Amino acid sequence: MSAPQSPRRRALIAGGAGLLAAPTVLAQGTAFTHAFANGGRRLVAYPEKRPLIVLTSRPPQLETPFEIFNEGLITPNDAFFVRYHNAGIPTAIDADTHQIKISGNAVGKPFALSMAELKSQFKPVEITAVNQCSGNGRGLFNPRVTGGQLANGAMGNARWLGVPLKDVLARAEPKNTARQVTFNGLDEALFGGGDFVKSLDVAHAMDGEVMLAWQMNGADIPFLNGYPVKLIVPGWYGTYWVKHLSEIEVIDSVYEGFWMKPAYRIPDNDCACVEPGTAPAATRPIGRFNVRSFITSVADGARVPAGAPLAVRGIAFDGGQGIREVAFSTDGGASWRGATLGEDLGRYSFREFRFGFTPAAGQHDLRVRAWNRSGQSQPMEALWQPAGYMRNVVESVRITAA
Amino acid sequence: MTLHRIALFVLAAATALPAGSAPKSITLPPDGVQLKASALPGYAKAQASCVACHSAEYMQYQPPTAARPYWDAMVKRMKTVFKAPVPDEDMPLIVDYLVKTYGNEQPK
Repeated sequence: MSAPQSPRRRALIAGGAGLLAAPTVLAQGTAFTHAFANGGRRLVAYPEKRPLIVLTSRPPQLETPFEIFNEGLITPNDAFFVRYHNAGIPTAIDADTHQIKISGNAVGKPFALSMAELKSQFKPVEITAVNQCSGNGRGLFNPRVTGGQLANGAMGNARWLGVPLKDVLARAEPKNTARQVTFNGLDEALFGGGDFVKSLDVAHAMDGEVMLAWQMNGADIPFLNGYPVKLIVPGWYGTYWVKHLSEIEVIDSVYEGFWMKPAYRIPDNDCACVEPGTAPAATRPIGRFNVRSFITSVADGARVPAGAPLAVRGIAFDGGQGIREVAFSTDGGASWRGATLGEDLGRYSFREFRFGFTPAAGQHDLRVRAWNRSGQSQPMEALWQPAGYMRNVVESVRITAA
Repeated sequence: MTLHRIALFVLAAATALPAGSAPKSITLPPDGVQLKASALPGYAKAQASCVACHSAEYMQYQPPTAARPYWDAMVKRMKTVFKAPVPDEDMPLIVDYLVKTYGNEQPK
């Protein structure tokens, strides 16, 4: 099987922002193996996507091949990861008739909004923000946990154009009794149970940063990423970024549907972690990203020339404080020096870092560790939780110089 | 419906939409993997109850350490949370097939 390359697909690739060079397009049908047991995968091109790592075919869950993160700070639309929950996903959407209904028992004036009204009646804003799956890196947990066995490709960074949710909600005149806002999209559970509905506290929903976006990197949001309108929750895990957004309700209670409780919960303690193999005493809904950093220019297991300067780069991000510092080690964490930070695209964006060193012949264990502006960082040893969320250990990239 | 009436119906539907309106549609690729064949009675039950809604990577890609309580909890979740019409008598057979085919009771 060969990769479909319609003129339209080429146009989408060409329109992707931030491409510095020819994009990595791995061939359709290529076998791929993650660095964990039972990690064999296939690469398949889904609509508007280049061949991506298939986690599940139906509903689609697609992971970005990691080398794409080395091609620029913006993740191209056709390489951006996909995560659905229920099999009843829409396959045809008319943006001209699509509506977002805003209602609930804590608004005074429920109303419905067309896409044309959304785009014309509010002041647009654009933000560069990382979207990351809660379970990004789940397959790397030790001991292993069940669920979607992802490596670190369920993340991406994009420019989102839309309008602040606050401005849309204000028109519905929320009452003083408002406690939460719920979000539902066109995707459905086939037998009616477990519709994918998420909620945010009303203060968060009204913070001016949560937004309703219709563009991603200057183009329509790809169908599988939530066309024609997606909820953007900067700094928060992707579970809240509801796709094909169609219903918003402002309610006077705490929403506890399946996807808020018991799903997507983390241990309710400071580290969001428990002893491996144990269950948390109490849980809370997952929220902001923790701090992460990745070397992108060289892969674990790579061979490089000994005695020649090696330029290393990568990306760091956090839940919205912004990255303050990235340190690197070439000796497995025994000693550390500061990496150079690159362009700042905003505190919700990937931040580039760079460092160089000249490897002597032999093995080198490269590590990077980031700090955000609140001083939060990454653990040297992986934390564990039963659902496999929030992995953010200092990763190890072992290379051999010869 | 006669051809004439179909034509009128199509015309009416078309004029009800704003000018230039064209729904965006996608066609998804077929499933990449199928359930692993097995002589266990739960294999046919899983074909009837599980992959009607989702593809088999959900099972196939689980860590080989996944133990019986996990598979049991998932099958029960499909019924209690998602209302999948899984016959009660099939559930233990499906769990048995899943843990012996994809979980930690696979033949070594």
